[in-house]
Amino acid sequence: MSAAVDALFLGGLVAYSVAATLHAADLSRREGEGVARRAGPWVLGAGAALHAGHVVAASLLTRVCPVESVHFALSLAGLILVAAFLVVRRTRRIDALGAVVAPVALTFLVGAQFVSQAQPADSVPRGLLAIHVTANLAGVGLFLLAAAAGAFYLVQERGLRSKRSGRIAGKLPPLEALDWALHRLLLGGFLLLTLGIASGSQFTSPPAHGLVGIARLALAYGTWVLAAAVLALRAIAGWRGRRAAWGTIAGAVCVSLVVAIYVAQPGGLS
Amino acid sequence: MTAVVGVSHRTAPIAVREQLAVDAARLGDELVALRVAPVVEVTVISTCNRFELVGAGAAEADDERVAVALAASLAARVPAAAPHLYRHVGREAVHHVARVAASLDSLVQGEPQILGQLKHGWEAARRAGTLGPELARVLAHALRTAKRVRHETRLGAGRVSVPTVAVELSRRIFSELSGRAAVLVGSGEMAEEVARLFAREGARVVVVGRNAERTREVARLVGGEARQWEALEGALVEADVVVTSTSAPGFVIDRALVARLRRPRRGRALFFVDLAVPRDVQPTVESLEDVFLYNVDDLSQVVAESLAARSQEAERAEQIVLEELRVWERRRDAAQAVPAIKALRDRFGHALERELERSLRGRLRHLGEEEREALRVMNEASLNRLLHVPSVRLRALAADPEQSPRLGDLATALDELFGAGGDEDEPVEPGRRSFPPAPAEEAREVGAHAPGRADTARVAAGRG
Repeated sequence: MSAAVDALFLGGLVAYSVAATLHAADLSRREGEGVARRAGPWVLGAGAALHAGHVVAASLLTRVCPVESVHFALSLAGLILVAAFLVVRRTRRIDALGAVVAPVALTFLVGAQFVSQAQPADSVPRGLLAIHVTANLAGVGLFLLAAAAGAFYLVQERGLRSKRSGRIAGKLPPLEALDWALHRLLLGGFLLLTLGIASGSQFTSPPAHGLVGIARLALAYGTWVLAAAVLALRAIAGWRGRRAAWGTIAGAVCVSLVVAIYVAQPGGLS
Repeated sequence: MTAVVGVSHRTAPIAVREQLAVDAARLGDELVALRVAPVVEVTVISTCNRFELVGAGAAEADDERVAVALAASLAARVPAAAPHLYRHVGREAVHHVARVAASLDSLVQGEPQILGQLKHGWEAARRAGTLGPELARVLAHALRTAKRVRHETRLGAGRVSVPTVAVELSRRIFSELSGRAAVLVGSGEMAEEVARLFAREGARVVVVGRNAERTREVARLVGGEARQWEALEGALVEADVVVTSTSAPGFVIDRALVARLRRPRRGRALFFVDLAVPRDVQPTVESLEDVFLYNVDDLSQVVAESLAARSQEAERAEQIVLEELRVWERRRDAAQAVPAIKALRDRFGHALERELERSLRGRLRHLGEEEREALRVMNEASLNRLLHVPSVRLRALAADPEQSPRLGDLATALDELFGAGGDEDEPVEPGRRSFPPAPAEEAREVGAHAPGRADTARVAAGRG
């Protein structure tokens, strides 16, 4: 069983690496659709299948429910990110985002192996913990994807305003598709983050975590407020495009810091 | 080999080129009429920028005569074309056809239509029965070269006309152009062309103008809806793309107007294509969120970048054309060894077969059909093994430009060693050869000069 888990992990790692390379190669391709464009999503899908297999097999081996473990939840967040991308790309021209999704999924898959497993306090209800961890990490995945869409939006817009035919900008999705993806992913991430915060508030006690813990909570709430503001301004004042992109990127930076602190502080759940 | 005679945008004005154009329905008859000795095969490359006849004779030595005959035919049909004709023969003709197919000789390098036009001419020749193996080989070579150029260079990359650049840019803003509202403000040839391209992409075109009659006419031409000038602001609220081309002395659309539209438009992106001089759209409009503005200079700059990129790629494309030409020459040269190889094979094959049949009638007559068949297969395998090395060496010799003159001597030697008499049982007839001479040797024998010389200068029709 252990060998199968290792094989699935290694297979996922290789598939994600190849998918990342193919998507990057497609972005740097001079023009037209090459093998990289066609094969990239398939290899990414294969990576996701192996990744899912690894999560299931490893949880069976260790007898740990995937959503109750930081290991698995972080890994699962990467998987959700890939699944969301593969579903959305079927209807929207956002293939270029694969160049971000694949490396991020790879990072989540590999990074999860290095996270120290914290033992949650006995007083924390298992179900609530599962909802908290899953919602937060899936929200992080969607935030990162939204930020990638925002970054691509800024590059595409800059290319259009510069009045020059840049190679990379020409390969990126149209502004409208990027704005659409950014909004939907941000909305999804916001809802998940809301769920994560709401569930976490039932068992966290800020003073117990010291200064770093307080900073982590402040950043998490700050991210939530930032995402809410971007979404509200879009609905009320028609904020789209560049402003929404910058707001989302700022939110993604905050949420990345939260994850970084979380990873560096294994006792976060206790 | 091949000869090409014709005119192009480089040598003849459009007034001459249009006289040479042939109606598609009559093309087959025209080609048949052109196939008179020494022309054995003939086809045409006809585009709005060129009219060329590609012909081949019975032998390589006929190239010059084929070129003269084709030039005379063209000059007879359109005398005004005579001073503008150019011709290429032999290697240069093959090189020229490949360059044409690769769109290196086109008015706009990298344009993709040329391949279709080339195939159309060849298809017409095939139907008319004027296409033979020589021109078929030339076409295959040209298509192979064009394919390599298209795959390995960016010769066809980027847009090289203002209207197509405008449409291409809008694709970087909007996911789909179908169902979008494209508003044409004013009129003008280029603006109408842009509007037509948007309509072709499925966009809804609205034409706004001061002159009601002219506006209706333009709307009819581009397949759009006409609106009065007073409806401009309302049209801009609906618009995704606005193409302006009025003769107004000042700005028709200013920043204040566009800023005012922002709320009713709910922040949707707006793309202005300002084709007017003086400009119709205030440049500061571009500082507004989600508003993009390209004027004539901006669009021309993108066109110039594409053309410059194509020009750089053209150098690489020329190299590919030359590489493919060398490959083609090697194949053609190697094919010169085929008659000698075939003669050798026939000679040995007949000898082995005769000996086997003699044995099967004599000492081996007790063998059954299965054993006899096995012996025949063994004979064939022996022949292949025996002739493998000589065949490879003969082909290599023919393909090597330095060694190929030896091919004729070798054919003679083979003739003397194995060929005289054709059958060892038959008496030798002095001077009779069973091994054919190599083509180069054949040319020497008939007193012709070595073919392959190119004359790319313009020549008057009928002059050798």
